Amino acid sequence: MLTGVPPTPSFPLSTHTLDNGLSVIISEDRLAPVVAVNIWYDVGSRHEQAGRTGFAHLFEHLMFQGSKNVARGEHFAAVNAAGGTLNGTTWCDRTNYYETVPSHHLATALWLEADRMGGLLDALDQDNLDNQRDVVKNEKRQTRDNQPYGAWLDLLHELGYPEGHPYHHSTIGSMADLDAALLEDARAFYSTWYAPDNASLAIVGDVDTDEALKLAETYFGGIASKGSFPEAPSTAIEPRIGREIRDVVTDRVPIPRTFVAYRTAPFGTAEFDAMQVAATVLGGGRGSRLYKSLVLDQQLLQPSDAVVDSWPFIGGATLTIADLPAREGVEIERLEAAYHSEVDRLASGVTDEEIARAKALITSQWLHHLASVDGRADTFNEYATLLGDPALVNEALPTILRVSAEDVKAVVADVMRPDNRVVLTFIPSESDEQEAAA
Amino acid sequence: MTSAAARPAPGAPRPWHFPAFERRTVAGGSLMSAHLPGRPLAVAALVIDAGAALEPRGQEGVAEIVSRALAEGAAGRDSYEFGVAGERIGATWRSSTDWDSLRIGFEVPAPDLAAATALLADAARSADFADDALDRVLDERIDEIGIERSQPAVLAGEALAAAIFAPGSRYAASDGGDPESLDALGRDDIRRYRDARIRRDAGTLVVVGDLEGVDVDALGHTVFDGWDGTPTAGSAPDVAPRGAGRRTVVVDRPGSVQSIVMVGHDGPPRAIDDYVAMTTMALVLGGMFSSRLNMKLREEKGYAYGAFGGFDTRKHGGVFAARAAVQSEVTVPALADMVAEIERVHRDGLTADELEQARAYRAGVFPVNFAGVGPVASGLGDVAVHGFADNHFDALRAKILEVTLDEVNETAQKYLRPEDFVTVVVGDAAGFADDLGSLGLGPIEIVRDGQ
Repeated sequence: MLTGVPPTPSFPLSTHTLDNGLSVIISEDRLAPVVAVNIWYDVGSRHEQAGRTGFAHLFEHLMFQGSKNVARGEHFAAVNAAGGTLNGTTWCDRTNYYETVPSHHLATALWLEADRMGGLLDALDQDNLDNQRDVVKNEKRQTRDNQPYGAWLDLLHELGYPEGHPYHHSTIGSMADLDAALLEDARAFYSTWYAPDNASLAIVGDVDTDEALKLAETYFGGIASKGSFPEAPSTAIEPRIGREIRDVVTDRVPIPRTFVAYRTAPFGTAEFDAMQVAATVLGGGRGSRLYKSLVLDQQLLQPSDAVVDSWPFIGGATLTIADLPAREGVEIERLEAAYHSEVDRLASGVTDEEIARAKALITSQWLHHLASVDGRADTFNEYATLLGDPALVNEALPTILRVSAEDVKAVVADVMRPDNRVVLTFIPSESDEQEAAA
Repeated sequence: MTSAAARPAPGAPRPWHFPAFERRTVAGGSLMSAHLPGRPLAVAALVIDAGAALEPRGQEGVAEIVSRALAEGAAGRDSYEFGVAGERIGATWRSSTDWDSLRIGFEVPAPDLAAATALLADAARSADFADDALDRVLDERIDEIGIERSQPAVLAGEALAAAIFAPGSRYAASDGGDPESLDALGRDDIRRYRDARIRRDAGTLVVVGDLEGVDVDALGHTVFDGWDGTPTAGSAPDVAPRGAGRRTVVVDRPGSVQSIVMVGHDGPPRAIDDYVAMTTMALVLGGMFSSRLNMKLREEKGYAYGAFGGFDTRKHGGVFAARAAVQSEVTVPALADMVAEIERVHRDGLTADELEQARAYRAGVFPVNFAGVGPVASGLGDVAVHGFADNHFDALRAKILEVTLDEVNETAQKYLRPEDFVTVVVGDAAGFADDLGSLGLGPIEIVRDGQ
């Protein structure tokens, strides 16, 4: 007996604001003796100044280099010694920092985060900056410059958003701008953006809400608020591109691969949600249109779990991206044409059965995403920071499950159009083709 | 004005044990189950003694092909219909092959655990292995290897294995095989491997999740009832290393802006008595952010985004390897630092503080690592594969807390062997080949990427 779409859970949460403006989200989950501490700062690469691309991310690295009462290298060591795991990430709209620890070390995790929120400048120096600048340049080399297809992400930013738009450059930035970063830039960046009233703290796991709130007050309550923040650069943009943009990159890659990106309404809109369902019908899983047609029947596309996905940007517009690596020996033009005809077919309608499959898959992926305390803490902060209310986490799935077959048909016809797409194609350079053939 | 509160001391830990699990025989098959209340997702997986180490010579990669082909249609459903049947109930199919096991299964919303288990049984017991599906899976896999090998880090790993182990040794080739072995693979080779290895007596059904009201034995019957098969003895594979002594292989990749540097040698199998001491030592050398390698190459020198090292312990043997992707200009000094850090641990061992840090992390992180259904299912799979006792994870944790500095440092001398270092560099050789000889890393062989 198949029950179809499973019940959707609702996670408990309480929200608080400290006197200094810090948002605090607490969600109890006593299943395991662990707790996730997660902070989102409302600053990302779209806030960067011209000539300082990559700075928000470089700065994130400096947050691990010690603070007023934490020696260089001690942040990682202290969390690890507590039996915890940790990291930080930067993206266009935000920067996050997080650790998951056995619950009796909650106070340590909060203390460490508070020390760098309030006291980073005591430890920030030229040595740290120079060292982490080198580390970040190697991160860029490792993930982009020395990696086949590594330029795809930067190129989609450049092609998908006009020059001067805050999403025109990617989070990693340019080598020249990284080289140009000064210690005084770091001090100014910190003083401008890193403050309790520009941050959201989520505590999820084996805690008592009152005790956790008291601890948050103890460690963060003394940090001064900033009061005001510069207006972020405008992300206003036309809702559709208005033409097709094409680019071909000949590079050291083993097989041709095409990315097709569409300008789509941002995260938190009905169009974005409809697009998620459409993307799953089209390219999510083995029951998707693309898997059936391009992988199984025509054998043009190298299989993967998710072919189509949208970036959850909040400013102006986001991109929905299809990633299409060709099978060996397949002409990329043929793959691209076959892909477009599947999109056209989708625009003429979907079956209820396809919608049901997509929704079951979206539901279990959402449950998987929220299964861990760290995944849940990060998601609460995502909705708090990007959409203004962490309780929307409990609304997200019911909202997406209301998307209808008609909505999917309409969004595909409206968004996945030739005059609203970027087509970026990687072609093996001649020498690589010869080598592959040898 | 900031008034920082004093640094806190930890509270009292809540007791933690690896989730209790049951192990029993149902319908002639092995079943392990763990009840984790409150989790919305559950896992049903088969862990099968059909890993890459058992593959016949010349058929390297066949286990991975089999693991994929099992999801390509069964019991009246073709490949597409099998995919839809799982996804229609939100079940995500996972298959994987490593040296010592082949694992297939579903993660599924708990209410549909039985339905997913029925699909799993179909895949394991009656997959079609139709000609066209086998041909496609094989071709896709060969293309995939081409894509993987375009990544310099993958090239380096393969070059290191080939340089450490003797030609013909199973560990000299990748566990997923290579285009040559897969090209030579016939449909009947794939079917034969399935028939020989995917059997009731070789498999363990692992069920983890909120099992309130779930008839776990019935799941066992679904998978095992009437699933006969002839036991096939697996012979121990040839995993012999090359001879002793240092050697270096350079894979020339002109235009590279980074070099992948790796240093390693063969290592011991999982079953050694001093496993905990050795792996705790390795954690300090290259397994944590605060490790010697990462602190030197990343946090002190800025040569790399990260540097790592440790042991891969398998049933029949293993590998020690350290690795980093460093900017091309510093290839030789970075390699010198990497070698020096391993030699220093080998020679001088760890400090008491480092051991304390590693013990605290490794023992402390168990509750974090085993909080969800996926990791617990995977842990039970390891228990099945290696024949561990029921109290394995709790005993392991206790042992970590007890391991002494002497024990740990003894393993640094015993299992790190600087005299046998095999070095691999994948990068633009023109920039570093002349200086590489100065490091004393043995004879240097230079090969061109793609040849």
